[in-house]
Amino acid sequence: MAVASQTPDHAVAAAKGRRADRDPKGGLSAFKASPATYAVLLIVSAMFFVPFVLMVSISLASDQTSAQNAFTVLPTEFEWGNFAEVFTATGLPVGRFVLNSVLIATLSAVGQVLSSSLVGYAFARLRAPGKGVMFMIVLATMMIPAQITMIPQFLLFKELGWVNTYLPLIVPNFFTNAFNVFLVRQFVSRISGELDEAAQMDGLGYFGVYRRIILPMMWPILTAIAIFTLTAAWGDFMGPLIYLNSEESMPLALGLQYMTSTSNAMQLPPWNLVMVGSILLTVPMIAIYYLGQKYLYEMNLQGGSAGVK
Amino acid sequence: MSNVVVDEAPGAARETRGAGRRRPKMSGRRKKEALYFWLFISPWLIGFVGFLLGPMIASVYISLTEWDSFTPPEWVGLENYSRALTEDPIFWKALGNTFYFAAISVPLGLVVGVWLANLLNKRVRGRKLFRTFIYLPTLVPLVATAMVFKMVLAPSGPFNDLLGWFGIDGPQWLLSATWIKPALIILSVWGAGGATVLLLSAMNGIPRELYEAAEIDGASPWRQFWSVTFPQITPVIFFNLIMGLIGAFQIFSQVYILAPNNNVGGPDNASQMMVTLLFQEAFSFYHFGYASAIAWLLFIVILLFTVIAFRTARKWVFYETEVR
Repeated sequence: MAVASQTPDHAVAAAKGRRADRDPKGGLSAFKASPATYAVLLIVSAMFFVPFVLMVSISLASDQTSAQNAFTVLPTEFEWGNFAEVFTATGLPVGRFVLNSVLIATLSAVGQVLSSSLVGYAFARLRAPGKGVMFMIVLATMMIPAQITMIPQFLLFKELGWVNTYLPLIVPNFFTNAFNVFLVRQFVSRISGELDEAAQMDGLGYFGVYRRIILPMMWPILTAIAIFTLTAAWGDFMGPLIYLNSEESMPLALGLQYMTSTSNAMQLPPWNLVMVGSILLTVPMIAIYYLGQKYLYEMNLQGGSAGVK
Repeated sequence: MSNVVVDEAPGAARETRGAGRRRPKMSGRRKKEALYFWLFISPWLIGFVGFLLGPMIASVYISLTEWDSFTPPEWVGLENYSRALTEDPIFWKALGNTFYFAAISVPLGLVVGVWLANLLNKRVRGRKLFRTFIYLPTLVPLVATAMVFKMVLAPSGPFNDLLGWFGIDGPQWLLSATWIKPALIILSVWGAGGATVLLLSAMNGIPRELYEAAEIDGASPWRQFWSVTFPQITPVIFFNLIMGLIGAFQIFSQVYILAPNNNVGGPDNASQMMVTLLFQEAFSFYHFGYASAIAWLLFIVILLFTVIAFRTARKWVFYETEVR
């Protein structure tokens, strides 16, 4: 449909009839799927999917199977109890891990949404001398790898007494990041200015315009930013590894690593419970993606074209 | 009397506003707008100064000192840099490993991505299902992926069992200095679905007429791919190349988790990467000066490759807007 409507002459497209409309690739040799196409796609999909199946089947394996490392690709045992046992049998506060992850990810997302919407709105709408230079700086900072600032930031947070608290992982999000500012700015730039001009005529101030007019229209991009921040914070490993060293404060991504480290080299980690933990880490991300995929897709495209052109 | 005042007032106001426009100085309204601009961007500005610019300057200084953060820093000039580049064999090994990883995983990921996208772009039944299967791994947090691969690639793990069916005696992947890097590359290619989806959406946007014209000229599907599809998706390939390179040079979590018996960078430094080395120097040995120098060297390497990629882009990245 999309391709058909792009053709210069709509009448021609319509005349071609329903079949062409429904299937814009019909009849062209470049789009012909041979049995080999299916064979390759089936094999590749299977290869991409096998690790998931393994994750599930091992999470359902008994402790005995796990200790012998005698796993099968398809599940043969169904120890659903593992999903309860993971919280009690590992000797680690796994429930607390999950709670910590939820806390860190949620607060990080709130911080990014609040700050990037405010800053992005200002860059898109308000006029001020020096704005151009500031925006150049925003773009330039995207190139700086995090490793450059990692050590001084650590020393700063240590000085502030923030080590072994969530603060180093959460607080920087309230000061936004360049990429999100850029996304919001691009999004707001494409909203017509008529509405906020009218609102200003009616006596709404700059903050009023932001709060009442622009913010309600920003939610697609803010949803995307929230999802992006949630997934990044949820899966972050290096940040917690640097800042959190007590088990009580660890998020699940780091806690899992502790679950696999055994006291001696010959001992196998409790793989079945580690895989339950991996599922706990994975499922929320798939759920979030599924719920917000429309917005993520939009941001991907914007980010993609922004990075290229 | 009152009439006169009322008549005068708007005129006076108009006059001052007109004068304001002619003067280069800003009007009150403009001043207020500028004030609000700076107020609104202050979260970013504070973050920029406090978490980026300040730390960057500090990082330059720290890289020129020897400092464990407990005793006062000792000025050593460029010694940290010269030590990394001339004396420390592990630095060169880490740099070589990182190159090896980036040089294989990034092109391989792109080739797999383009190949799969091209297959999915055909008229395949169940395309959505295939696409989901291929995209799903990119949604798995890296830590969980690494856990699965650590288990799959264990000496008596499922992957070697599979190779055993074909009579292949699999290597000790993560315990072998030869095979740990290929293992890391396999793990990274498992995430090729991200590029595939972007490339597929780019392919979907290619106008049908181009293929119709190629078909009339008698071009084979293979020729059509190279002459129509490929040029049209080069901007997306380029974007994925840049992002992939930057990401590959910063590889960390996988290496840390897959490390045998918490011997990060092992075995025999075969999986030591730039960032794992930096991390160990900083947070295991408290060599903050040396670690900062490595961070800057990493930045230079990334910058160099990005610049090279952008330079060569003119030769092979195709923008339709340039033709028109």
